[in-house]
Amino acid sequence: MTDGDDPAFAAEGLTVRLGERTVLHDLELRASRGELLALTGPNGSGKTTLLRAALGLVPALRGRVRLLGDATGELPIRERARRVAWMPQDESAFENVPLYDYVLFGRYAHLPPFAAEGPADRAAAEAALREVGLWEQRQRGIREVSGGERQRVLLARAVAQETPILLLDEPTAHLDIGHQLDLLERVRRHCRERGRCAIAALHDLNLAARYADRVAVLSRGRLVADGPPAAVLSEALLREVWGVVADLRRDPASGLPYLLPRLPARDRGPRPETPRPRRVHVVGGGGAAAPLLRALVEDGYRVTAGALPLFDTDLEVAEELGLPTATEVPFAPLGAEARAEHRALLDEADAIVVAPFAVGPSNLANLEDLVGRAARIPVFLVEPTPISSRDFTRGSASALRDRLVADGARSVADLAALSAALAPRADPDR
Amino acid sequence: MGAPAGPSPAVPARLLRRFGRRGRWAILLLGGTALLAASAFVGPVAIPPETVAAVLLHEVSGGALAPQPCGPLPLASAVCQSRIEIVWDVRLPALLLAAIAGAALGVSGATLQGVFRNPLADPYLLGLSSGAALGVAALFILKVGVAEANIVLPFLAFAGALGTGAIVLAAARRASRSVETLLLTGVAISNLLSAVMLVLVLSNPIGSLQVTFWLLGGLGGATWARDGIALGGVLVAGGILSLYGRELNLLQLGPEVAQSLGLQAARVRTRLLFLASLATAMAVAFTGVIGFVGLVSPHIVRRLLGGDYRVVLPASAFVGGVFLLVANDLALLALPTSELPVGIVTAFAGAPFFLALLYRRRRAVPDGGMP
Repeated sequence: MTDGDDPAFAAEGLTVRLGERTVLHDLELRASRGELLALTGPNGSGKTTLLRAALGLVPALRGRVRLLGDATGELPIRERARRVAWMPQDESAFENVPLYDYVLFGRYAHLPPFAAEGPADRAAAEAALREVGLWEQRQRGIREVSGGERQRVLLARAVAQETPILLLDEPTAHLDIGHQLDLLERVRRHCRERGRCAIAALHDLNLAARYADRVAVLSRGRLVADGPPAAVLSEALLREVWGVVADLRRDPASGLPYLLPRLPARDRGPRPETPRPRRVHVVGGGGAAAPLLRALVEDGYRVTAGALPLFDTDLEVAEELGLPTATEVPFAPLGAEARAEHRALLDEADAIVVAPFAVGPSNLANLEDLVGRAARIPVFLVEPTPISSRDFTRGSASALRDRLVADGARSVADLAALSAALAPRADPDR
Repeated sequence: MGAPAGPSPAVPARLLRRFGRRGRWAILLLGGTALLAASAFVGPVAIPPETVAAVLLHEVSGGALAPQPCGPLPLASAVCQSRIEIVWDVRLPALLLAAIAGAALGVSGATLQGVFRNPLADPYLLGLSSGAALGVAALFILKVGVAEANIVLPFLAFAGALGTGAIVLAAARRASRSVETLLLTGVAISNLLSAVMLVLVLSNPIGSLQVTFWLLGGLGGATWARDGIALGGVLVAGGILSLYGRELNLLQLGPEVAQSLGLQAARVRTRLLFLASLATAMAVAFTGVIGFVGLVSPHIVRRLLGGDYRVVLPASAFVGGVFLLVANDLALLALPTSELPVGIVTAFAGAPFFLALLYRRRRAVPDGGMP
């Protein structure tokens, strides 16, 4: 039975074969009470199989998973269900039973044969439903609730099972961002307050970094990294395991890593082979540049963008279009690194387009970096509205704008005027 | 989407929802009993209600009450005797058999739907009934005398149903994700078994008419002895099944989730299928192949009382019994002079119901609600 030093969960030399494929190779992984362990890795890396092996749903070829010291395979099914609860990825109820009854199903392993649920079981179900905030809605049918509520009900059932170990398989799948945060918040709180050990297979590395105490990374059935998120998640690891290039940043508030992955350039698929169009850099932010970026790419220019904060609409569009960008963390003033990136892009540009973005203290540097360039290359200011309406720098932005115009920058009213102004000089065949 | 499937008798369901759960139970029970009583008056020979009541009283009390069961009417004693026979020896055993067989099919259908997470499962559609029927047809080849037939029939039927059940279970393990695969497997097995049975019957022309008629499903052969045997078997199978309501509640989540909650899913599944086969066999052995009762009954119950199998199992037995009783009345009312097999009536009612369920479900599929 349970030994003081035993971890709650321990995979020991676990090897699992499914058909011809060895899905887990000699895996060693531990997790203890009070801990939320994020299990991550690319599709097919063996995350789900590890959870299923722990539940005894797939047999181990070699090795074992120990739950509180005893190997899964040697525990009777009932006892197993008192030690480990499962929140499956795709569970669908056949019958439209009330949420309360559904959560009460989690008490089965605690009931004597053919006995009805007692006060202790009902109390556990009530506490679990309150914990996920669905007690008021307990009479609704499981097939009538939304996806987010369903996931919470599944969590409540696992909580009502009152097991020391919780296994969650993609608990945030199909959830919007608000519900993702809410669910993981609840799981983490449950772990800490009740001393439970939770292992969650998660695809979203940012969520893993934010909520997990520890991150374990699987790749092709092998454990390739295991430790605190800040130590484990690195650009090298992302390139190696997922084959993506990532800008890894640190959230200035919490110090946690977060990242913005993209495919390496060579994997981005065929691009239209235009006879080397000229390179246009767009300065923007807050979505002001998005239509320009799209239009310029469609017109065949090689487009770059910057300097944009992470999560900015313009950045999302630029990423989607596969454009090189200079980026900065949100709401922070442009740092030296971002400015250097931005200047590099500006240096390579054949023309610069300034989108009608709102200028504040944090992105004023975007305009400062343009000073002096209008004399050398064409600079276009797209100004459907005057700069004064977008100037949140007490005139600094307006002054810079006037200086650019004095240097030779042209003001255009809209996208059509911009295209017309760019075309005569931008078309390489002319 | 709403309930897993289920037809939409929207108006009655909404009306019934006004009553509490107890109220709905009461309506179900009272309605059923009233129907059973009313059914005794229905038959090719018109017998007034008071005569029927008097006959019942006379027989039940062993002649102590209502010594002249045919009442004060100036009837010849021979006529009166024939009425006693009609009511007591023909009608009542048939009604009871209808109720028993219907209950067996209802509880069996509810079990199959839960075990396979399939709203279209039914002992008839999955081929269990055909399996049982093949077992019974074997009797006509073995030429067992009538005396032993009552005892041997259920065993042969059970063997046939069980064999089919094993095949269906294997098919379900292979393709657990598709509702249609399971049904098509059942249909194919059912057809194969019917073909085998026809070969058996044709190779032995004696009694083939009898078999053909029996195959269509009828309550004509009902006797008190057969009722007793059927009742015994159904009570055993249905009684044990009803104890497994909680387990079926978990199994309807899928075998893996059920196991993670502490249920010996594989073992319980097999056990439930065994019992469902037994119940089906009891019905088929004495009434022939009657379809759709097991399909329709659980859906009616779900609409009225919800999807908790602790309720669904016994209530489906009850609704199944009433359903078959009513179908029998309709058969008698439709063609009073020639005996219309009750299986034809249930097919008239059940087949459109099945199609409605099928197309409703099709539309519901994209939300991923169905297994």
